[in-house]
Amino acid sequence: MNQTEKTDVIIAEGVTKIYDADGIPVNALNGVDLTIQAGEFTAIVGPSGSGKTTFLNIISGLDAPTEGKVSLAGKVISEMSGNELSDYRRDNIGFIFQAYNLIPVLTVEENVEYIMLLAGVPKAERHKRVIDILKVVGLEGVEDRLPTQLSGGQQQRVAIARAMVSEPTIILADEPTANLDSKTGTDLLEMMRRLNTDTGMTYVFSTHDPLVMERAKRLITLRDGLVESDETRE
Amino acid sequence: MMLTIAFRNIFRQKRRTILTALAMIVGFTLSSIVIGLSDGAYSNVIEMFTGNRIGHIQVHRAGYQDKPSIYKTISDYESIGKTIQNENGVEAWTPRIYTGGLGSVDERSTAVQIIGIDVARENKATHFNKKVIEGNTLSETASHEVVIGEKLAKTLAATIGSKIVLFSQAADGSIANDEYTIVGIADSGDDITNRVACYLHIDDVQELFVLEGRVHEIVVIVSNINKVERISNTITEKLDNTSLEILPWYQVVKSFYDAMQKDKQGDAVARFIIVFIVAIGVLNTVLMSVMERTREYGVLKAVGTKPIQVFWLVIYEVVIISIGSIVIGAMLGVFFNYLLSVYGVSYAEGFTLAGVEFGKMYAEVNVACLLIPATTVFVSAVIVSLFPAIKAARIMPARAMRIH
Ligand SMILES: Nc1ncnc2c1ncn2[C@@H]1O[C@H](COP(=O)(O)OP(=O)(O)O)[C@@H](O)[C@H]1O
Ligand SMILES: [Mg+2]
Repeated sequence: MNQTEKTDVIIAEGVTKIYDADGIPVNALNGVDLTIQAGEFTAIVGPSGSGKTTFLNIISGLDAPTEGKVSLAGKVISEMSGNELSDYRRDNIGFIFQAYNLIPVLTVEENVEYIMLLAGVPKAERHKRVIDILKVVGLEGVEDRLPTQLSGGQQQRVAIARAMVSEPTIILADEPTANLDSKTGTDLLEMMRRLNTDTGMTYVFSTHDPLVMERAKRLITLRDGLVESDETRE
Repeated sequence: MMLTIAFRNIFRQKRRTILTALAMIVGFTLSSIVIGLSDGAYSNVIEMFTGNRIGHIQVHRAGYQDKPSIYKTISDYESIGKTIQNENGVEAWTPRIYTGGLGSVDERSTAVQIIGIDVARENKATHFNKKVIEGNTLSETASHEVVIGEKLAKTLAATIGSKIVLFSQAADGSIANDEYTIVGIADSGDDITNRVACYLHIDDVQELFVLEGRVHEIVVIVSNINKVERISNTITEKLDNTSLEILPWYQVVKSFYDAMQKDKQGDAVARFIIVFIVAIGVLNTVLMSVMERTREYGVLKAVGTKPIQVFWLVIYEVVIISIGSIVIGAMLGVFFNYLLSVYGVSYAEGFTLAGVEFGKMYAEVNVACLLIPATTVFVSAVIVSLFPAIKAARIMPARAMRIH
């Protein structure tokens, strides 16, 4: 276990992002250097607009940095083609969004198995893994429902299941609890932390909820697109 | 696999699917009806012109068409007719003699056209009996009867039962002169003919003009007018007789045909406009349904769908919906065109073309009324989906998901 904990999963060097908001440049990130290691349970915090979402998007290749370099599991994202990046994301990153972003026309099971479909996992195995992971996130018996038939907390659990099912190198979550009430939110975070401890899967999530922050093992604070503080606690 | 997802999208987003499909189906059906009606109108004009009058193919002695003359005759017409009848697609044939002369009823006289017809064959080929609007049609055996055009009857103040004296010069130079009983009055469907026509049994005319065993024209009716050219060619081959001239209807009435072709060009413009409107409608709906889903495509990409897979997803959905719409539209198009081909729609005002009167417009179910709308719907749907498909494929997931 010690061996893997030392592996660098993400290395961000001088990451800068300047958005173009109708001709006006918006500096979202101003040169962020960060290294995320395997097995971490890390929270990225900071006020709204400090660049949390932008940073998560860039380190997962969902968006391109204006400047700087991001390596993911040893590969430089900007050097990958669109197809390579898709495969890479599929195999290495599970992403959990603030707005759940389940695919509305797919049932819970179909949503969760989607990535395995992309990866060509056989049907029987897909089904087994879906049932297993739904059990892990506490959602037994809803596999045939559509996202709209679930509560927000349930949808986010499905999203977590979807992110985890293919056992990616890292799970990135952008304010996963922001749309949930605080009880549901803390429950969900407890669950993620338990999964982190049990499986050693790396978690990086952004939040501005103090209850969520409390549960992080490492706390990175962003302000105005820069790392303001970075503390590890156990 | 994207195909599976495409189907799920289609069946589970019913409102969107129905809206998109509706635009395509309505566009398809409307353009199909417009094409069916306009093609039907042309076919109708052609059929009125050909089927009941000049026939689909005419056989003459070479040169007759350019400069008709009583002497340019076909002699062995029975055997020629038999050869023609044996041709595939030929429905009927009928021989005719055309000459001119003076017609007199009591004190009144006027120039007349004397048309000798084989009554039984003419009835079968051009429904001559149905043109008789008063009195009776001619007997099938020669019995010195005549049916005259309705305007000619007025000119001569003739009624059923009147005697008409025909006066002319026979083929051998002798004087042709005989008296016939008017048994019927005909509306040939064309004004000029109505003013001059005297229909007689072909044997009577042959006797009067000393033209035994000879005719001027053989009229051929085919079962499918679209095959006229091919049939006309094979007849030419089979007869293998350079002293004969075999002409399809559009060469017989060339000026009418040319005028109609001109008119059709105008129609093509109208057709293009309809196709264009349908295409715009389809473009609009497809574009909207793809654009409103930018976020969904962003999610698909975020979880690892390849750009090309997203591209195909968009295309598949559009293609599936358009194929479905085309099938439904085709059924509706055939259905409505069929109804309109049976019941027709009235023109705002009837009109007369080349002496033929038209009061109703009948549609036609043909290949064009399915193929043109199908191509329009399919091509415009696919073309319009290409752009958003490429866009969806290339989209930066982060950006797509920010759009609400
Ligand atoms: N697509 C975009 N276009 C323009 N400005 C953006 C865009 N995305 C984010 N921003 C701006 O970048 C800054 C950082 O945003 P974000 O990363 O969403 O912050 P956080 O997630 O911490 O709230 C904000 O000022 C935001 O308005
Ligand atoms: Mg954010």
